[in-house]
Amino acid sequence: MNMSAAVTAPVAIRVHDLHKSFGPVEVLKGVSLEAREGEVISILGSSGSGKSTLLRCINMLEVPNSGTIEVAGEAIRLKTSSDGRSRPADQKQVDRIRSELGMVFQSFNLWSHKTVLENVIEAPVHVLKRPRVEAVEEAEALLAKVGIADKRNHYPSHLSGGQQQRAAIARALAMRPKAMLFDEPTSALDPELVGEVLRVMRGLAEEGRTMLVVTHEMGFARDVSSRVVFVHKGTIEEEGPPQEVFTRSKSERFRQFIKS
Amino acid sequence: MDIRFALETFWSLLAALPLTLELAATSIALGSILALGLALSRLSGILALDLFARTYVFLFRGTPLLVQIFLIYYGLSQFPAVRHSIFWPLLREPYWCAVLALMLNTAAYASEIIRGGLLSVPHGQVEAARACGMGRFMIFRRIVMPQALRQALPGYGNEMISMVKATSLASIITLMEITGVAAKLISESYRVIEVFVVAGVIYLAINFALTRLVAFAEHRLNPKLRAPLPISADLKGETH
Repeated sequence: MNMSAAVTAPVAIRVHDLHKSFGPVEVLKGVSLEAREGEVISILGSSGSGKSTLLRCINMLEVPNSGTIEVAGEAIRLKTSSDGRSRPADQKQVDRIRSELGMVFQSFNLWSHKTVLENVIEAPVHVLKRPRVEAVEEAEALLAKVGIADKRNHYPSHLSGGQQQRAAIARALAMRPKAMLFDEPTSALDPELVGEVLRVMRGLAEEGRTMLVVTHEMGFARDVSSRVVFVHKGTIEEEGPPQEVFTRSKSERFRQFIKS
Repeated sequence: MDIRFALETFWSLLAALPLTLELAATSIALGSILALGLALSRLSGILALDLFARTYVFLFRGTPLLVQIFLIYYGLSQFPAVRHSIFWPLLREPYWCAVLALMLNTAAYASEIIRGGLLSVPHGQVEAARACGMGRFMIFRRIVMPQALRQALPGYGNEMISMVKATSLASIITLMEITGVAAKLISESYRVIEVFVVAGVIYLAINFALTRLVAFAEHRLNPKLRAPLPISADLKGETH
């Protein structure tokens, strides 16, 4: 991808001064992050660093205590409820913004009572109200793209982990999202199945899709992403293009992290 | 055993079959709606609703159905307020008292069965639906409920069978369903064995049909059970 283009491209996701606590534990301590269109950002960090929480705040699966999140220039409005907790001011807005973001989970989370094809067309037909025929056509193309066209009528439980995750990627793509959020997409996979999922993700990156990827795959972070973000104890400790941070990081912790 | 008498008894008892079925069907249908409401109250996270549902289940599961039937049939009419209420035309009928007691009772058990079904749906699937922009009601209708139903069905089948048998208690408050007619025949003929064996056979037949019906529904609702089986072929392909 052309790096100079990424700097001038419009901002797809902007996170500013995000704070999030679970009970007494402060997981995010003022995180700011900007993803421009076409950027692939790998979010690295040891477990418990807050990297998944950061991703889940972007589509409000976790509601931040404070800070702002903008998707394609639109800020998600938050309010403080009577019990002092932060919550979305307008659930309709949240639902709409969620439908513009594709999310891929560590544990796939396919709907087990629906076939692969039904999983992919469910939200386009019922949330976006697209005509079913059109949705099926697009779903079939997406399933072919992720390489499981022959599994369209199978139920998730009949698929391998790698196939399930590729189906989940197709399901997210079917929403024609403005950006894709990946939450450790290969962490639950057997080692021999990781490659097929990473190949699909690499393909998406090459298409110029905006992607935020929480991952432990150093190879992917180094070779595919345009920027690497290292989260440590709820703050961004290191950030930059992979060829820079992987070779000469100023952060001792990050150097420790990539060595292990 | 006198076969001819048994056959006569069979026809007399069969005439009472519609009432038994009606009692069971009405109370199961109404009870299921109440049960869903109770299950949702338990899971609502609203303390008052949760406490109400807990207390309800505690009371109706913890006391005998017969006691509940007596309380509703004999007990409620003691209160002038009930006798003057708009419900009195219903509550003075033993049929509706029986339906009410059966319904309230089955709702307590069924609510726990439904709650179990709802809890069985993995949270990750709800999250995935949220992440797609689905609203709460759509998630409930399209993701949670179909799977919860499937999960709850075997347990609910049990409960429905219990209810068919529990309708026999309605005979105590003068209803002439199968057991009521059977008791009458015995008091006329003193032939306990024939009459109760025939009555038992009829209940057995109803529950056999019900079991088949539930099994059929389970099959229909569980696509995994009737999925094509190309997996074995795929597995072969994957071994090398």
